[in-house]
Amino acid sequence: MSYTLYHIPDWGSSVIRLMLEEIGAPYAIAPLDWDAGDFDSPAFRAVNPLGLIPAMDTPEGPVFETAAIILWLNARHGGLGPAPTDPSRAAFLSWLMFTSNTLHPTVMTLIHPDRVAGEAVQAIVQAAALEHLHEEASQIEAMLTAKDPDWLSPRRPGALGYYLGILIRWAIYLPEDPGLRFSLRPFPALRAVLEAHERFPAARRVAEADSLGPTPFTAPREGAIE
Amino acid sequence: MTLTLHHAPDFASTIVRLALEELELPHTLAIVDFDGGALATPEYRQINPVGLIPALETDDGPMFETGAILLWLVDKTGRLGPGPDDPDRAAFLSWLFFTSNALHQAALAMFYPHRPAGEANSEAARAAAQEQIVARLGLIETLIATQNPRWLSPEHPSVLGYYIGVLVRWLTMLPPAPYGIDQTDFPHLRAVLAAHEARPAARRVAADEGLGTHPFTHPGA
Repeated sequence: MSYTLYHIPDWGSSVIRLMLEEIGAPYAIAPLDWDAGDFDSPAFRAVNPLGLIPAMDTPEGPVFETAAIILWLNARHGGLGPAPTDPSRAAFLSWLMFTSNTLHPTVMTLIHPDRVAGEAVQAIVQAAALEHLHEEASQIEAMLTAKDPDWLSPRRPGALGYYLGILIRWAIYLPEDPGLRFSLRPFPALRAVLEAHERFPAARRVAEADSLGPTPFTAPREGAIE
Repeated sequence: MTLTLHHAPDFASTIVRLALEELELPHTLAIVDFDGGALATPEYRQINPVGLIPALETDDGPMFETGAILLWLVDKTGRLGPGPDDPDRAAFLSWLFFTSNALHQAALAMFYPHRPAGEANSEAARAAAQEQIVARLGLIETLIATQNPRWLSPEHPSVLGYYIGVLVRWLTMLPPAPYGIDQTDFPHLRAVLAAHEARPAARRVAADEGLGTHPFTHPGA
């Protein structure tokens, strides 16, 4: 079984590339070019009607949305989180969904503040997004401290560690104003998870292939071209 | 399976309640007293650390997030959506997460427009949300019209039918003019929702919560 991942390095599809490397599934990369209008092409809209990445072709048809692809791959290959019959899946699914529909949009607002309510108010939007991200990271930090779950741990690679790794990378790296960049300093448990994840072999391979630098999740500006 | 749903009528927990009724899974409702600050208590934060409803207590521990609970119920029961090994699973998962991430979030932006940029900029946030909501419902309409998937169909009850039904209810009823949606723009979707609201499970929940006779397609009636 082989997959085709529609990809631009360091976009949302890098999250899925990390998953594919972690499970060792064979896959091909279909590079997309935003400026060339690839996202609006009929061929790509047939894969993802929303015109967004990540999206992936599978022998059972296309699959899109980061967390949907994660769960689909995990059910078929394992190794990314609790299996469908595992009791710890209840908590894993809750936090995966929270990451997908709350923390992920907060990070997108932080790095694209003009999209929410126009350019005139983007400074206010961005400051509010950073505040929301701190609150959401605090909720994850508290969960890690209280529960220390296997599915988001420094001890083993997992889908949520990689997913949060890329989101936190962007939140540290992409805001132009240094005062609006996220910092992991108040979140030592989360930082330990992400540090471990950026050292796992799958992350090293993707960091190399997508030019993400030596510490892509915790210190993305290290080794980056400023 | 012992299940306790933390619930308030006509909130997102109603979506989970509809699924539980459709599955005929015995459950207890724990009614949440918003005004009394019930979501902020340490006891409730043990169940849902992010302090929202729905939350569902299960034999596998507490769960939160509407879409997560719906998916967990599908996988536990093998009903109301394709299971992990079903060839339809890829498309079902894609559109379930689309509903949670894109449609539900845009609806929340419409109902809580002060959140992204403060009260002063509520109108701009609401206008942006309106555009997103119409575009996203249009994608669902095209999906149903062109692919007629079993997991979002008038022929078969599904978690996604109930999830989108409650969102469309709110989007029809709650936004102040000139915002909101015209359901006749989405006829295939409307047929799916009409079939869902006519099911005995939906009628029971609608009667108990005072949602009217056509809670999805004529929410004011």
